[in-house]
Amino acid sequence: MSHTVDIPQSLKDSLRKFRFARRNAGSAAIVVRVNKQKLIMEEVETFDDISPEDLADELPENSPRYVLLSYELVHPDGRKSFPLVLVNWAPPSSEMGLLTLHASAILDFQTTADVAKVIDVRDGPDGLTKQAIDAQLL
Amino acid sequence: MSGPEVHSLSPSPITSHAFNGDRSLLAVSLNSNDVTIYSRQGKEWEVTDTLSEHDKLITSIDWAPNSNRIVTASQDRNAYVWQESQDTLTGKVVWKPTLVLLRVNRAATFVKWSPNEDKFAVATGARAIAICSYDSENNWWVSRHLKKPIRSTVLSVDWHPNNVLLAAGSADMKARVFSAYIKDVDSRPPPSVWGERLPFNTVCGEYSSPSGGWVHAVGFSPSGDVLAFASHDSSISIVYPGGPAIYTIKLNSLPYVTLAWTAEDSLVAAGHDCQPIAFSGSAGGWQLVGTLDDTSSSKSSGGTRGFGGVGSGVGRLNSAAFHTFRQADSRGSGSPTSATGSGGTDTELLTVHQNTITSIRPFSGSADRVAQVSTTGVDGRLVIWNVNNVVELTGKMGALRVQ
Repeated sequence: MSHTVDIPQSLKDSLRKFRFARRNAGSAAIVVRVNKQKLIMEEVETFDDISPEDLADELPENSPRYVLLSYELVHPDGRKSFPLVLVNWAPPSSEMGLLTLHASAILDFQTTADVAKVIDVRDGPDGLTKQAIDAQLL
Repeated sequence: MSGPEVHSLSPSPITSHAFNGDRSLLAVSLNSNDVTIYSRQGKEWEVTDTLSEHDKLITSIDWAPNSNRIVTASQDRNAYVWQESQDTLTGKVVWKPTLVLLRVNRAATFVKWSPNEDKFAVATGARAIAICSYDSENNWWVSRHLKKPIRSTVLSVDWHPNNVLLAAGSADMKARVFSAYIKDVDSRPPPSVWGERLPFNTVCGEYSSPSGGWVHAVGFSPSGDVLAFASHDSSISIVYPGGPAIYTIKLNSLPYVTLAWTAEDSLVAAGHDCQPIAFSGSAGGWQLVGTLDDTSSSKSSGGTRGFGGVGSGVGRLNSAAFHTFRQADSRGSGSPTSATGSGGTDTELLTVHQNTITSIRPFSGSADRVAQVSTTGVDGRLVIWNVNNVVELTGKMGALRVQ
C-alpha cells in the first residue's frame, strides 16, 4: 500500500500510550494533524475528560484533523464501556490540497492506531455531538 | 467646481466600479470577464491594466483603501483577491490573483471588504452570503456561509463599522442584519443597538418595506446605528433599531438600486431614474431633499455634455456640429438635425447619466461628511457629483423628456 504521509515512531508510541492509559472517567482525545510541507503526521494536543461539544470547540474550523477518541459510552442497559474510535474531522472549508492529503492517509493512520470504528464529521462543529457519536456506536 | 465631472469610459455598460484609497486609480468591470484599471492622467482616465482571470462576467468589485487589495466577484461562482506585486522579470508592478473558493453553486452578485479589510462578504445567488477570511496556517482564504433564513438571491451587502455586523438586501424582499463574527479574526465587539453576544449567523433584525419588493441596496449610516435600504417598490426605508420607528419614503419615480450615506443624517440614492437623489432626516423623520443632477442647467450649448472630462463650451471639439456627428457615431442615431437648443437628438435624456445608475460610492470627504460621490451606470459613464449641490426636484418627474 502506498504511503503518502509518514508516521514517525514518536507518534506511534504516543498512540500506544494513549490506548493503554488508565483513565478514571470521561472521554479522552488525542488530536493529530498532517504536516503538508514535511508530509508527516504530528500530534497536536491531548485532552483528558472532555465532552464532544467542548472538543468540537477546540478543533480548528478550517483544517482537517484525525482525532483518536477514547469515548465513554453508556449502553442502554446501564453498562459503561470505553471504545476507541477514530474521528475523521474534515470541515468543508479546509484547504483543498490538505483535505485530499488527509483523506489519502487516513487508512494508513487507522491501521497504525489499530482502530476499528471511524466516525466521519464533515460539517464542522455541529456534527460532533454526543448524540451523533452515540448513534454511531450503539 | 459645482458642476459634475463627467467621464465617458466606454460604450458598454459599467457593471461595477471601485476607486483606490487616494482616488488615483479606478477598477471597473465593463460588463465583461475582465477588470479594467484606469489611472488618472490630468483630467482624463486612461486604461493602464487589464486583469483577466474570471471565466464569466464580473458582477462586483471592491478596492480596500488601506491594504490596497482588490476583490472581484463573478458569475463563475468564484472570487479573486488581487494584490499588487513587483514582477521579478520585468520589474513592472502587476496584480496577482488569489482564488477564493466560495463553495456556492450559483453566481456571486456583490462583494464588499470589511472596514478592517481582513474579511470580505460575497452575496450570492445560492441563497447565502459567503464571509471570507484569510487562514494564515493554511495560506488559504476560507469561506463560511450565512444561510438561514435567506430564501432567495442576495443582491447587496454592507458592513457595519464594528467589522462584525453585516446588512444584506435580498430578492426575498427582506433587508436583514447578520452577525458575521469569525472566531480567530474578530475580537468581541462591544454591544451596539443591534444586540450583544452575537455568534456567527445571528439575525439581529429583519425588515421589509410596506409593499414588498426586492431589496436592491442596503447601507449602514457612518455610525452604524441606522440602516437604510432601497427596495423595488420605489421606496427608501430608514430603520432605527433602538427607537422602534422605520421611516419609509415612497416615491413616484422609478426604483433605486444603489445608495450611499453622506452623513449621519443624509444619504444619496440612485437607480433607474438616472439621477442621484438626496434624502435627509433624523430619528424624527426623513424626507426627500432634491436631486444632485441640475437638469435645468444650460442644455442649449449643445455639445457640452460630451465625452471626456469637465471641459465645457470653448473649443472646436465642442461645437454643436461635432457633437451631432459624435452622437451619430456612438449611438447610431440621428441625422444632423438643426441645433434645437435642447442638447441633441430626442433620445437623449435630460439627466447627465443616459441610463440606469448601477453603483454609487463616496468619493471624497470623510465617512461622516462626504463631499463628493461617484456614480457609474449602464450608459458607460463615470460621473463625480458634489453632494452639496442639491437642486429641488421640480415637477419634471426625473428623467422624462420635456417634449
